[in-house]
Amino acid sequence: MTRKRFVTLTLIPAIGLLATLALVSIAGAIWFSVMNRTLRSADYEFVGLHNFLRLLRDRRFFNALENSIIWEAITVIGTLTLAVLLAVLIFETVKKPLWRNLICFAFLVPVLLPRVAAAFIWRFLYSPSLGVINYLCGLVGIGPVEFLANPSLALISVAVVDIWQWGLFFTVILLKLLETLPREPIEAAKLDSARTWEIHAYVTLPMLKGPLISLTLVKAVESLRSFDLIFVMTGGGPGTATETLDLYAYQMGINMGGRISYASAMSVLLLIVTTMAFVIIWKAGKKWTN
Amino acid sequence: MDKLISSVAVRALLAFLLLVALGPILWTVLSAFKDLRDIVTPVPKILFTPTLDNFATILRNPTIRDGLLNSAVVVSAAVLVGAVLGIPAAHTLARYARKWGDDVQFFVLSLRFMPPVAIALPFIVLYLDLGIYDTLFGLVLVYLITTVSTIIWLAVPAFERVPREIEEAAAMEGCGPAEIFWRFSLPVAAPSLFGALVFTFVLVWNELLLALTLAAQKATLPVVAASITSLGKEVPWGVINAATVVLVLPPLVFIGLLMGLLNSMVRSGPK
Repeated sequence: MTRKRFVTLTLIPAIGLLATLALVSIAGAIWFSVMNRTLRSADYEFVGLHNFLRLLRDRRFFNALENSIIWEAITVIGTLTLAVLLAVLIFETVKKPLWRNLICFAFLVPVLLPRVAAAFIWRFLYSPSLGVINYLCGLVGIGPVEFLANPSLALISVAVVDIWQWGLFFTVILLKLLETLPREPIEAAKLDSARTWEIHAYVTLPMLKGPLISLTLVKAVESLRSFDLIFVMTGGGPGTATETLDLYAYQMGINMGGRISYASAMSVLLLIVTTMAFVIIWKAGKKWTN
Repeated sequence: MDKLISSVAVRALLAFLLLVALGPILWTVLSAFKDLRDIVTPVPKILFTPTLDNFATILRNPTIRDGLLNSAVVVSAAVLVGAVLGIPAAHTLARYARKWGDDVQFFVLSLRFMPPVAIALPFIVLYLDLGIYDTLFGLVLVYLITTVSTIIWLAVPAFERVPREIEEAAAMEGCGPAEIFWRFSLPVAAPSLFGALVFTFVLVWNELLLALTLAAQKATLPVVAASITSLGKEVPWGVINAATVVLVLPPLVFIGLLMGLLNSMVRSGPK
């Protein structure tokens, strides 16, 4: 077998399959977004930008958009802040490899949990009548707090679970990255009698700028898939207090009424945002590795 | 003295962090062995008579048993096909594709980031028209997007780490590219590849939205678990906790592997 044939034989099936499936979903989403297809009837016709224009007058859409933006901001900033603080703390205070490994293992557990499982675990903890958190709140005289039923608390309560999963995971990654850094600049800063926090703020973290940017963007894209967690924990409620874009698109397109086209218009918007974010990630990643 | 206090404080903080990371999970495991009576108490109980009733309920429930079976079939089929297609492609991308390899990798990774809703909506219509809605085959097909792309993404670096000398020596001996791949590169890269497969397995095992959309009777375990809450009026917390434990177990078995994968990726990452 020649090299050229080997290349063709290995690449074509895999890339061909991916390209077909990707084309079906992307072209399909765009196609249905300019039609008026529903799940109830198989007939549909071209309606142009009608669905997009209707989105502009849809209060519930703007509510979902707002929730998505808040969700993005809380989870991305929360995850990165927690990860940086914890990674530096562990790097400075835990020197024994055994303990470090133990902590890393413990911190990897939450992100491995299925989102559905994580959602149940925390719903149980948050429960107003039998949850542990409310029991602890009761001990200090607060509560019972309706973490998931209070419209102004619900989104943050769910975001805490996301940060619990991803923040601890990113802590492990950052800790490993800190361990790979060369010792010399840190030692030099120590000789200049810099304080510990100064060393990290001005020496180590700037050295990790590339990975930090990549992690931020990866989390930003990952946060767009908020569906599983929110669906199980609140179902978008109370009311529409925690309804993000993908949840609203699901409710519109599949759960209630099956308005495929209207939901497709929304998913096309999501697709555009995700693609733009991804192109930036890719470029940043390339710049960092070269 | 100050030092002693601060070292005690640090230990206490670390213990607290471990509790935050693992506490919720341990509490769920504990509650999975509780009678509903022991769950619905004003003061949370640490000491109680353990019971296996919740697990028995789950394993006797045909919906959950089917969910477990469907999940096992769908996930292993998707990962297996993903590996057969993805691993050779990754080897080619790592070794023979200099010029356009980057573009292909860009495309492959971009799929990993596609919003699931944008996949679910066109596929539900397509599946209804083709008559493969609510079939295991349909689920496997749509999961191939995730498995093939993730496996290629993770396997390319694994093949790049295989020393070039090995492959060059084999080529000198007159081995063709297929033989080099099968007899030399694959065994050397195998440990990292295994990690990649495990990671992919966990991703698909945890997936909810596509399974929820594209199947009804053939529900996978996350879908079944997500629907337990609406069983009757009284929330069966013990059963829910037991179902959560069953759902959590397979991914957790692989935690050591994920750690190894992470270590090797960080080492090869920033140069």
